[in-house]
Amino acid sequence: MAQSAVTRERLFALRETIAKLEGKPAPALAAAQSEALADNGLAAKNDSGPRLPLGIPALDEAIDGGLPLDGITEARTDLLREAGAGSGFVLALAAMLQRQVEESHSAPLPILWIADMVSTMEAGVPYAVGLRDFGLKPDQFFYASPRKLEDALWLAESAVESGVFPATVLEIRGNPKPFGLTESRRLSLRAKASKRPLFLLRQAGEEEASSAYFRFLAAPAPAQARPLPDGTMLGGSIGNPVFHLTLEKSRNPAPLSFLLEWNSHDRRFFAVSRSANPRLPDERAAHSGTPLSASSNRPDIKKEMGALLAFARSS
Amino acid sequence: MRLTALDEAAEALKLRKHMGVAEARATYPKLDVIEDDPAANRRFLEAIADWCDRYTPLVALDGVDGLFLDITGCAHLFGGETPLLKDVLARLFQMGVDARGAISSSPGLSWAISRFGQGGIIEHGEVEQALAPLPVAALRLEEATIGALNKTGLKYVGDLLNAPRAPLARRFGGAVLLRLDQALGTDEEPVSPRLPVASLSVERRLIEPIGAEDDILALTGQVAVSLKPSLEARGIGGRIFELVLFRVDGKVFRISAGTAQPLREPKRIAALFAERLQAIHDDFDAGYGFEILRLNVLLHEDFVTSQGDFEHHQQKDASLAAFVDRVSARLGEDCLQTFQLRESHLPERAVIAVPAIDHLSAPKTREGHPPPARNERPIRILQKPEPMDAFAVEVPDGAPASFHWRRKQHRVLKSEGPERLATEWWLDGSDTGDRDYFRIEDDQGRRFWIYRHGHYERDATQNWYMHGVSA
Repeated sequence: MAQSAVTRERLFALRETIAKLEGKPAPALAAAQSEALADNGLAAKNDSGPRLPLGIPALDEAIDGGLPLDGITEARTDLLREAGAGSGFVLALAAMLQRQVEESHSAPLPILWIADMVSTMEAGVPYAVGLRDFGLKPDQFFYASPRKLEDALWLAESAVESGVFPATVLEIRGNPKPFGLTESRRLSLRAKASKRPLFLLRQAGEEEASSAYFRFLAAPAPAQARPLPDGTMLGGSIGNPVFHLTLEKSRNPAPLSFLLEWNSHDRRFFAVSRSANPRLPDERAAHSGTPLSASSNRPDIKKEMGALLAFARSS
Repeated sequence: MRLTALDEAAEALKLRKHMGVAEARATYPKLDVIEDDPAANRRFLEAIADWCDRYTPLVALDGVDGLFLDITGCAHLFGGETPLLKDVLARLFQMGVDARGAISSSPGLSWAISRFGQGGIIEHGEVEQALAPLPVAALRLEEATIGALNKTGLKYVGDLLNAPRAPLARRFGGAVLLRLDQALGTDEEPVSPRLPVASLSVERRLIEPIGAEDDILALTGQVAVSLKPSLEARGIGGRIFELVLFRVDGKVFRISAGTAQPLREPKRIAALFAERLQAIHDDFDAGYGFEILRLNVLLHEDFVTSQGDFEHHQQKDASLAAFVDRVSARLGEDCLQTFQLRESHLPERAVIAVPAIDHLSAPKTREGHPPPARNERPIRILQKPEPMDAFAVEVPDGAPASFHWRRKQHRVLKSEGPERLATEWWLDGSDTGDRDYFRIEDDQGRRFWIYRHGHYERDATQNWYMHGVSA
């Protein structure tokens, strides 16, 4: 019995250290402990700073009531050709924050996008007309293109520090070495001090330890069809964008995967149930043949015929 | 090769300008000849001109070896004209420059006295007296005119002063009289300064030179405090500030920083230069320290004061402007941009990116007609549309069934379009083809914005381009 008490003491000490690292106040920790002891895991306490709820109860519960507005949230894409999904998700969050500001009847506040040069070359610059279609205000959108990563980090830090931007997006490609745990910790502390969120958009990057509260893996998903006035769906149309998000880093032990539809008119997310995945009953999809179609103006690579074990003896 | 300039020793040997090098070497075999470098001479003269900024902001270059300083209203700062001239010449002598100078009421007279006379100060009443014994070359005339004057026996300026004006003008042209009048001060001759004159300027002269960045910034803050009342009295704020640092050894650093809104606040002015000093850190060499620090306002605008309200809108604007200023000072003005919409159907022309620092205080662009019915645009657009291979267009005029972009095959499952956008014939000419845009979604759910250049039925070659990435 005494043994277990000592173990528990050590456990608490460790938890306290972790809580200190995470910046949680100690009394709240004690409360959390007592809750944990009482096996009352569901009572998610909203003790930390302001949150941005995504508007979907099941998801908000998983992320403790919403995305933190005083810290880093990371969204990453696996490949650069999926940059659209990552950019879309982050911009949607920025649009939600801008809507929040507008709903509180204050003057609109600008969004800052800190671009990465290679990602810009690969996936393009934010396009103001498209941003307006997406629910953002083009005249309240600042675009920065620093030449070096150090400049980008400085820019992100001073943007968060200035407290002007309800959302700052820092786009980073891959897992650059100069942007490690120390730098991300620094940004996180800065965000905590000035109570402004920073969205880290990691294009074509791998999972990496960072100070972000949550990390989402954003992947593209087939869009919803456009609804017709009589309630049916218009076949073959591309409606609101849908993101396939996987919550990779959170307090929840198991990764959570879900589909979110972004409605740019209401500027909010809707959940998409997987069964209603509107993939078309397409004929071409049924073909299991070669993925490469016959090319018209480039040399086609000949397929391997089969396994060749040995040539016949010639003599 | 000819001699273009001589030092004192060479002059004593009776060598002359325009003499051939071979001829001079034949006379004096040990002659040391250095090749002329006009660009270096120019740089040196400009460095001296920069240094002369400590006396007056109106410094003009004169040919390849002279400087005009307009010291109107500046002399008393240095204890009068005589101490000023002495100070200039003594300091230049210490820096190793053999300079001659004169102060008089007109640039032409100063030029004549310093180059052909004894130098010094010419009082207002003794102009003719000083000018008369000088040769006619002292009037800045062309070689041919000087030769013609000499031939007729008019060797000194005094001869011209006594001669009747009308025949002189008839025979030698109006230039002679113009130059004469300019030297006498009867004809006004403007001196055009080589740098724009600051609208306001404050400076601090230091007994003990400073070199550390913190000291410089602290002093900038102090100087900016003394600038504020003058800005307030005029009802203006600065848009471009310039910090001029005079190093002890004569080198002058000019650091300028722009602001998004008219600015008066000393702290923010000092903060601007803190970022600038960070940015130019490697090129900034304090050496033995700086002895004069000057803060100029190069461009100013009316300062619009507005009453604060309870919601602190103004404060938010100010902090945004401060952020834009900091970033622009540190990373350059092109780093931070905003987008402005324009009325154009062509996607890449519908938006222009402009530096945030120039368009933060500018009035919002007029919201034109509501945009015409069109398809949604992508959130990211490629700066240059990328050509790609498209295969198996099943419907004529329709989207491709698959395409090959960046070595990767994409199968198109859904598409919306075409949306035909005609190019702007008044800019591009009539022979550029139209574009048919499609929004497409591939089998992975990735959404792109592609277009076909040219009509399906009319043009033989149809090129497909990738133009944007949708969410």
